[in-house]
Amino acid sequence: MSAHAVTPSQTVGPFFHDCLLRVDRCESTGGDEGGVQIDLEGRVIDGDGAAVPDAVIEVWQSASFARIGTGADGGFSFSTTRPKPVELDRGTMQAPHLSIAVFARGLMNHLFTRIYFEDEPSTERDPILHLVPEARRATLIAKRAPDQGLTPRYRFDIVLQGPGETVFFDFRSTAR
Amino acid sequence: MITTIGEIVRGDAAVFPPYLYEAYRSTLRRAPGLPLIEVPLTASALTRARLDVSRVSAEDADLTRNAGTGGEALGQRIIVTGRVMDENGLPVPGALLEVWQANAAGRYIHKRDDWAGPLDPNFLGIGRCLTSAAGGYRFLTVRPGAYPWGNHVNAWRPAHIHFSVLAPSWSQRLVTQMYFPDDPLLGLDPILNAVPEGARSRLVAAYAHDVTEPHWALGWRWDIVLAGPGATAFEAREESAA
Repeated sequence: MSAHAVTPSQTVGPFFHDCLLRVDRCESTGGDEGGVQIDLEGRVIDGDGAAVPDAVIEVWQSASFARIGTGADGGFSFSTTRPKPVELDRGTMQAPHLSIAVFARGLMNHLFTRIYFEDEPSTERDPILHLVPEARRATLIAKRAPDQGLTPRYRFDIVLQGPGETVFFDFRSTAR
Repeated sequence: MITTIGEIVRGDAAVFPPYLYEAYRSTLRRAPGLPLIEVPLTASALTRARLDVSRVSAEDADLTRNAGTGGEALGQRIIVTGRVMDENGLPVPGALLEVWQANAAGRYIHKRDDWAGPLDPNFLGIGRCLTSAAGGYRFLTVRPGAYPWGNHVNAWRPAHIHFSVLAPSWSQRLVTQMYFPDDPLLGLDPILNAVPEGARSRLVAAYAHDVTEPHWALGWRWDIVLAGPGATAFEAREESAA
């Protein structure tokens, strides 16, 4: 049992934009010096396959944080630095990935997921991906998209519910 | 409230609401239907990201005056203050708190909020601050009004303030809502009632006369307790491994 009573989550509701997506708050804080820039694009869709036009996505990696809202078609896009491999525990490496949180009206708690990269050879050996049933792993892997210039471009859709549902994570807590 | 309640919960099911809570209609097509995959807390989930929050200023925490008009917001002036801590009661310093709320009439400045409550030109309903070394925070604002919404017939949201907590640890990320104890709408609200009964009162602020300032503003106290270990736990682990 924990000493202090944990505060429950609540939905962001529909009216978060003016606060959470103010321009000076959602821009990336940069990345590793000399890192390779990549572009990502995708859509957030619900259990009917309909666009989720009022979601916000947070992207977290070691050196940067960014927030992106979805548009009327559920679409989002952002640029970041290509992530590097990170340690899981001493001696065990994780494949390069981006940590993602998804917030929306109707989501009582945000959803945690990850974006891996199909053209990264270490992805198939990633220890976290191996905790995911094989049939669902593809939902966590961004596909190369046609480049629109010199920057590598990837596609990653977030399916909240239903066929092709994205894998979402919970952190194993020692307190439970 | 009789409703279908889903089994998928992230975090402690005695604390956190299920993703599917039928009485809140927007959960029906947005709640995941497949079990969450449990993963260990990795270094990347505990490591501090370098947040560029140097632009947070003291005036950001004064919602009564931060609209930039030179005027003051209408409504009951209130102080909302408290501490952000972890499960062990240790303070969480340097967390970015962002708040948004309706004005005293229950109206948001949001372009999609189209109900007939009047806008207040001197109120944006947006604020932010960084927690102090002791995990403390303090906002000056006006008490938000209740407002109707389309969830069911004659549905009204109780007065609330949205809080986003960006702690140094990714695993501790929290977005929630703070309510007021003297609100008759609390028992009728499916969003609050989606929280397990034993944990609901944790979202309700307490009137604090010691926070109330004479001839100025009423005081409310509300502490926020983040689940799980924080960045300090990771740093301790690294040090012991070194």
